[in-house]
Amino acid sequence: MTVKPSFNWLRLRRLWRPAPVRRHYDVVIIGGGIHGLATAYYLARAHGIRDVAVLESHYIGFGGSGRNTAIVRANQRTPENVRLYDEGLKLWRTLTDELDFNLMFFNCGTLMLGHSEAAVDGYRMLASTHNLLGVKSEVLDPLQCAELIPGLDISDRPAFPIQAGLYHPPGGVVRHDAVVWGLAKGAAAHGVHIHQGCEVQGIDTDGSRVTGVRTSLGTIRCNRLGIMAGGYSTAVAAMVGIELPIHPLTIQAMVTHPLKPFLHHVFSSGAYHVYANQTLKGEIATGAHMDPQVNYTNDATAYYLKHQAEALVDLMPVLRGVRFMRIWAGLADMTPDMAPIMEGHLRYDDLYLDAGWGYFGFKSGPVAGKYMADYMATGERPEILEAFQLKRFLEGRYSGETAAVMKYGHWD
Amino acid sequence: MTFRLTCPVCGKRDVYEFTFGGQERGPRPEQEELSAEDHFRWMQFRMIPCEPQEEWWYHAQGCGVWFRTTRDPGTNLEVEGDGDGDE
Ligand SMILES: Cc1cc2nc3c(=O)[nH]c(=O)nc-3n(C[C@H](O)[C@H](O)[C@H](O)COP(=O)(O)OP(=O)(O)OC[C@H]3O[C@@H](n4cnc5c(N)ncnc54)[C@H](O)[C@@H]3O)c2cc1C
Ligand SMILES: [Zn+2]
Repeated sequence: MTVKPSFNWLRLRRLWRPAPVRRHYDVVIIGGGIHGLATAYYLARAHGIRDVAVLESHYIGFGGSGRNTAIVRANQRTPENVRLYDEGLKLWRTLTDELDFNLMFFNCGTLMLGHSEAAVDGYRMLASTHNLLGVKSEVLDPLQCAELIPGLDISDRPAFPIQAGLYHPPGGVVRHDAVVWGLAKGAAAHGVHIHQGCEVQGIDTDGSRVTGVRTSLGTIRCNRLGIMAGGYSTAVAAMVGIELPIHPLTIQAMVTHPLKPFLHHVFSSGAYHVYANQTLKGEIATGAHMDPQVNYTNDATAYYLKHQAEALVDLMPVLRGVRFMRIWAGLADMTPDMAPIMEGHLRYDDLYLDAGWGYFGFKSGPVAGKYMADYMATGERPEILEAFQLKRFLEGRYSGETAAVMKYGHWD
Repeated sequence: MTFRLTCPVCGKRDVYEFTFGGQERGPRPEQEELSAEDHFRWMQFRMIPCEPQEEWWYHAQGCGVWFRTTRDPGTNLEVEGDGDGDE
């Protein structure tokens, strides 16, 4: 006998239901983050490939997808990257309709602050690139920056005075949990199986083929396998002896107690290693620099609380005395050129990889999933992914998202 | 949670005093016989399983010594090396 709830509108409806684990799937995807879920969703919706399982060792959104600061923008540096991120940015509105789930896209615009002549020159270059490609971006002088964000100290007092800003109106913030849940809902509605608590512990191969995975829920065979494990992708690739040009590093973020709305845009500063925005709840959400050592933890440290407080207050003195409520960390899978790796037929015929997104992988999740689904469905690389092949690192060609090859430490 | 590393000179110190020097990977390959591709691979590609690895660290904000230690990327913590700590 079940008790009928008296208020039907209070009844929580499940977004998706767990399914029994099958011993074989056409496609298996390792990683229940935005990239894995989006790929599964598009495989099912756009290609009618529904015999798909997403295997997640913890719970969906456990990785970077549930830990990021949710900033979305398309103001990358190279045309190849701008094009991909621009399409990704436009996808939020479509997806909100398509998934029938409010992703809470807050189109507030982003402002990147420059504190040196070199930075200002760089922003001019960026703005030209963006405008050439039809992406809105403009260089603002300090006064215009302060008009946009009144709390900024544009005087000479800060350690790094503000010299200019790159304003990018199409950017903003999207609720990251909603994206995870919405994609899971959409994927499951199209028949995709999502298995949480299913840790991949080994990958089976036979000659030139991948045949399946060994997991904490037993062996699961498949025809095609996608590694989309975010910061853990290097550990998963190591299971089949594949080395990658990726360093998994923790990045920390924190929120203050809620304040009256006063900050209406995202702002960031490379020199201070700070980016911040005010959430719809009123908290200042802010992210910091990365920890230097490779690791697979989610450890946060007091060190960054102090760094962040000092940096924020120097840039925006009105924040003095505001307290942090929470701090957390997640992984960023860093490549030498700050651009991702989207690859098919990776050593084995049916092995695919979508990783190396660093701290840009939230904004690009759905669009990457869309094209990875095309790639996995047809076996042929979509034209837009040409620039993101693994082999560029072996040919001395870099995607140029940074002017030089990135170094995260003193090695090499 | 922060952690400490054992500097051979100063003892256990906070990790933020140190600079990470990457995995211990043996001597750099000889440049003469090295193809461009192998060079790029050696510079950039890494195998990083979730298990203890031997690493280089530099006590930048301390005594300035470079040293090796074994640390588990899964926990961030140092672990006992297998047997003779010098190897
Ligand atoms: C603090 C922070 C702030 C960030 N801010 C931004 C931002 O503002 N904008 C932006 O665009 N990006 C941001 N990022 C980056 C972004 O969060 C990531 O790039 C993105 O979430 C990656 O998504 P993913 O699906 O590839 O990986 P993840 O979300 O990490 O998903 C991978 C999943 O794989 C699972 N997994 C791992 N190993 C296994 C295994 N062996 N078997 C089964 N499952 C496994 C993990 O549990 C995890 O859930 C930020 C990241 C962090 C940490
Ligand atoms: Zn020392």
